[in-house]
Amino acid sequence: MDDFERAIMLIYNSAGGSAESNLLLQAIEFCERLKAGPPPTVLRLCLDRLHRSPLVPVQFWCLQSLHDVIRLSYSALDDLPLLRASLLSLFSDRLFPSSSPPFLKNKLAQALAALIRLEYPSPWPSPFLHLLSLLPSPAAVDMFSRLLTALDDDLISQDYHLSSDDVAAATRVKDAMRLQCVPQIAHAWFDIVSLYRSSDPALAAATLDAMRRYIVWIDISLVANDAFLPLLFDLILSHNTPEPLRASSAGCVLAVVSKRMEPHSKLNLLRSLQLNRVLAESELVQKLPALVIGYASEALDCYKRLGSQNEGSSSAMELLEEALPTVFYVMQTCEELDAGNVVELLSDYISTMKMPSQKQIVYVGQMLEVIRGQICYDPTFRDNLDVRDKIGKEQEEQMAEHRKDLFLLFRSVCRVAPDVTQLFIRNLIASALFSSDMTVEEVEAALTLFYRLGETVSEDGMKTGSGLLREMVPLLLSAKFSCHSHRSVALVYLETITRYLKFVQENGQYIPNVLAAFLDERGVHHPNLNVSRRASYLFMRAVKLLKPKLVPFVDTILQSLQDALVQYTSSDWTSKDLKYSGFEDGSHAFEAIGLLIGVEEISPEKQSEYLAALLKPLYGQVEMLLIDAKAEGLEESSPKVMSSQQIIVALNALSKGFSERTVTASRPSIGLMFKQTLDILLQILVTFPNIKPLRNKVTSYLHRMVEILGTMVLPYLPMALNQLLVDSEPKDMVDFLVLINQVICKFGTSLESMLEEIFPTIASRVFLIPASEPLPSGHGINTEEIRELQELQRISYAFIHVMVTHDLSSVLLAPNSRGYLDAIMQLLLLTSCSHKDLLVRKMCVQIFVKLIKDWCSNDAGEEKVPGFRGFIINKFAPSCCLYSVLDKSFDFRDANTLILFGEIILAQKVMYEKFGDDFIAYFISNGLLAAQCPQDSAEQYYQHLQGNDNKAFKSFYQSLIENLRQQQNGSLVFR
Amino acid sequence: MALPNQQQVDYPSFKLVIVGDGGTGKTTFVKRHLTGEFEKKYEPTIGVEVHPLDFHTNCGKIRFYCWDTAGQEKFGGLRDGYYIHGQCAIIMFDVTARLTYKNVPTWHRDLCRVCENIPIVLCGNKIDVKNRQVKAKMVTFHRKKNLQYYEISAKSNYNFEKPFLYLARKLAGDQNLHFVESPALAPPEVQIDLAQQQLHEQELAAAAAQPLPDDDDESLD
Repeated sequence: MDDFERAIMLIYNSAGGSAESNLLLQAIEFCERLKAGPPPTVLRLCLDRLHRSPLVPVQFWCLQSLHDVIRLSYSALDDLPLLRASLLSLFSDRLFPSSSPPFLKNKLAQALAALIRLEYPSPWPSPFLHLLSLLPSPAAVDMFSRLLTALDDDLISQDYHLSSDDVAAATRVKDAMRLQCVPQIAHAWFDIVSLYRSSDPALAAATLDAMRRYIVWIDISLVANDAFLPLLFDLILSHNTPEPLRASSAGCVLAVVSKRMEPHSKLNLLRSLQLNRVLAESELVQKLPALVIGYASEALDCYKRLGSQNEGSSSAMELLEEALPTVFYVMQTCEELDAGNVVELLSDYISTMKMPSQKQIVYVGQMLEVIRGQICYDPTFRDNLDVRDKIGKEQEEQMAEHRKDLFLLFRSVCRVAPDVTQLFIRNLIASALFSSDMTVEEVEAALTLFYRLGETVSEDGMKTGSGLLREMVPLLLSAKFSCHSHRSVALVYLETITRYLKFVQENGQYIPNVLAAFLDERGVHHPNLNVSRRASYLFMRAVKLLKPKLVPFVDTILQSLQDALVQYTSSDWTSKDLKYSGFEDGSHAFEAIGLLIGVEEISPEKQSEYLAALLKPLYGQVEMLLIDAKAEGLEESSPKVMSSQQIIVALNALSKGFSERTVTASRPSIGLMFKQTLDILLQILVTFPNIKPLRNKVTSYLHRMVEILGTMVLPYLPMALNQLLVDSEPKDMVDFLVLINQVICKFGTSLESMLEEIFPTIASRVFLIPASEPLPSGHGINTEEIRELQELQRISYAFIHVMVTHDLSSVLLAPNSRGYLDAIMQLLLLTSCSHKDLLVRKMCVQIFVKLIKDWCSNDAGEEKVPGFRGFIINKFAPSCCLYSVLDKSFDFRDANTLILFGEIILAQKVMYEKFGDDFIAYFISNGLLAAQCPQDSAEQYYQHLQGNDNKAFKSFYQSLIENLRQQQNGSLVFR
Repeated sequence: MALPNQQQVDYPSFKLVIVGDGGTGKTTFVKRHLTGEFEKKYEPTIGVEVHPLDFHTNCGKIRFYCWDTAGQEKFGGLRDGYYIHGQCAIIMFDVTARLTYKNVPTWHRDLCRVCENIPIVLCGNKIDVKNRQVKAKMVTFHRKKNLQYYEISAKSNYNFEKPFLYLARKLAGDQNLHFVESPALAPPEVQIDLAQQQLHEQELAAAAAQPLPDDDDESLD
């Protein structure tokens, strides 16, 4: 080894990580330097080394560099005849016998293809003829196929990104080849395949693989003729053909089938192929699914392009339908099939049907069978799916993806042949019920199809039970499958029932069946926790829909759910359980009961009795907790805290069934009961101010109580709100403000004094802590912490907004708040001009508009808020209404920006209304004119401002801004 | 392929080549495995780095020597010379940069020229990022070439094992092979549940202006 070889071997082996990095860098540099030399020198070096070095990496490096020189430095090469001769001799030389590594031969082919691209047909007309003359020795055949492949890959194929130069070069080469040598090449292919099919099938296959790439653009008759087609079909059909060669032959036939041509010729071509010879061989077609599907797709395409009126079209349909059974067959038997293509084909086929013929009905039936087979889980994973472990989850995900397209196809089938589909599913369900040999997977698939069928049934059809549904839904409601204990079956069973609830709504006689299905061991009492929780959620939805009809069953339902409720609140929760099972699911049982007993069809006495029975144990538990906790401190993760959270969630869910009207007006005793719960839950806030999960749950509960208790909740608020402010981080502050905003929206001005009291605390946390600079918001630095702060910022503007729009701007002026006023105004101003989120800016402008209306009077007498008027005229008006709009980032093509712009227009109208000439004078002279607005435009501005046509004002102002921007060309910087 | 300088192991090992445009996250991806910390900084790989990654299957331990190649031509080294004797491959693109997907066919072509008939996985990385440019539906290349496709997020470890599992199954010729224990991965940098996050943000925005929204029930249709 000399230095050169050592360097390359070092780089190649450096991957092991052992080479000293210094040495490695030196080696890389050494090689780069060699390559960077004068191209003729590099060329000679590479050719020389190729012959001399026995080391494969070195040879590869030389060929790679040769390729680079041709590609990148062609114009600097001096001895082109030498290059051509050398490449051709490398091709025919003993240097690369058949046994040498394919990547070396491929690299050489790439280099020659690069030279052909540059030189063929002029100045170099002879490469193909020369190479053809070397055939048919095996080594020459091998290299020739590699060259054709490289030429296709690097120049002709449209699978890669091509520049216009590439396209021009490809066209030049193809045109010249067509004129000069394509027929000879085609003959050579035929001879090679005939010659080597038995003695060297791999070589024959490689030849066909290269040929396949050329069928797209050469004269089709060179391949689709009386010599070649029999050869190809013989290879496909003969039992002795090795599989790779068979596949290559089929690839060529597929290329012929897919050749672009007008539909009549295509139809003739398809007919002439007599592919039914292949389709009839069931073992054979399993190996050639792509050919089967490609052929059927082309037949369908002919049918569509010919148009159904054309005489040829029925013949095309015949070809397709002749192939369909084979399509179904390969779909059911081939594992390596790209299902996407088949499903597309079948969907296309379905879409050609309007009224399916008798024959087509049969195909539709087969299609349903295929779909059913395709959506079945693999029984190997039955246990994994039952416990839903990691493998089970993975299977579910994969299946969900796999089913997507199949469901689309199923929908089309339902649309075209609803009766056939219903009958198919009815039979499936019936045999699942009455014969025991259906597997878990098959029952799951049958129910899944039943569920999907529901998507295609109209509202009316659902209510009346159109067709067989009238029979099928009751069958389903009373069904108990032998494999019902399996999670996947139980889940889809419940989902399916839920989908058809509207039928039950109209057919009340089935209500006992529905209740049984949800409440017995098929539902809430299913041994699998995952199923029973899902059941309680779905049951809640059923109750929502069927509520009025369920009153007579309340006692039964309560009894059935008793144990589920107790289990939910008393179990020893650990944080692991909570994460494991989407944990609030169990709470839906409480929501269902709340919905049920919240209706006013139940007498007040009964209602109070039910509610008391439910509430008592719950807050009894909370009381216990409070007592215990005083004795011992509690950790966030302790089971007691967990179960308290569950209790609060349960109370919350329960309350959802009760309306404000029931609780406050018609049945105030119910209201009192909820008030009591609030008494206790608020003590949690006092006792455990630092356990955030509990605090969150109590906050949610407060939201509910604000909703239903109305003014009854007011006395609780001061204490609750103050307690929620204890030790609050940005995230808690957001939760707090969401609550405050809800309260303000609900109670408006009656909150004035309460707000005045807490406002200073809020202001000191929210408006002083986050820097008055807008937070950085580019990507990359978006950590969770910053996101929280941004959220807090947004919500705090919303807070001010909600306050002023509910006539509470006076709170800002209260003695204790006054100290913050200035800082808040500055912050609002800055935000209204430059916040990244345009909706936040809009909110700020709206706040200013409202404050102007509230705080300023038309006459220039004594000011309600000293300094405010000046601030608005001198600061807000120019900064927000002019400069921020002038900024190029203010994009008039953006919808949100236009909304903001509308508010800015409104702000100017309001300022004019309130301040009149004071505003105008300042805005025109210190704003518009200073921004080099022409005098006459400024006058027009004044006129528009006075006018009544806001729309005209808006478009005028927009064009004014655009003109000013152009004029300044971005050179003037404001502020 | 015997690597002269690589420590040899007595269980099956395979050369895995990882290719794809620069910046698509190839290095990040392989560094999730091992103790190596996830690097936020982008360092264009110089030439190639090889990471031995071990996985435990029900049939015993296997090792992938992952050849993490340079995505950027100028740091080429041996370029496609590194693919020599590759036994399986991962082609990586970035779902937030359309061009990186457009270049996938080229990577595939160059790979197949050197390594004929090896199992290949196509990976769309960075699905944790919000403004995705290449939607899952637009990814069709793998269907034409019979590759396996996975959406991954190196930052959140989402689907980290999938490509390796697929390749291991192919190489072993055993569809039921599975990993029996998870490899130690760097902790996730981001949570993948975007839908959850967006929902969360929408909820907050909605709640700001009005009383609490009603339950987000699925419709009964």
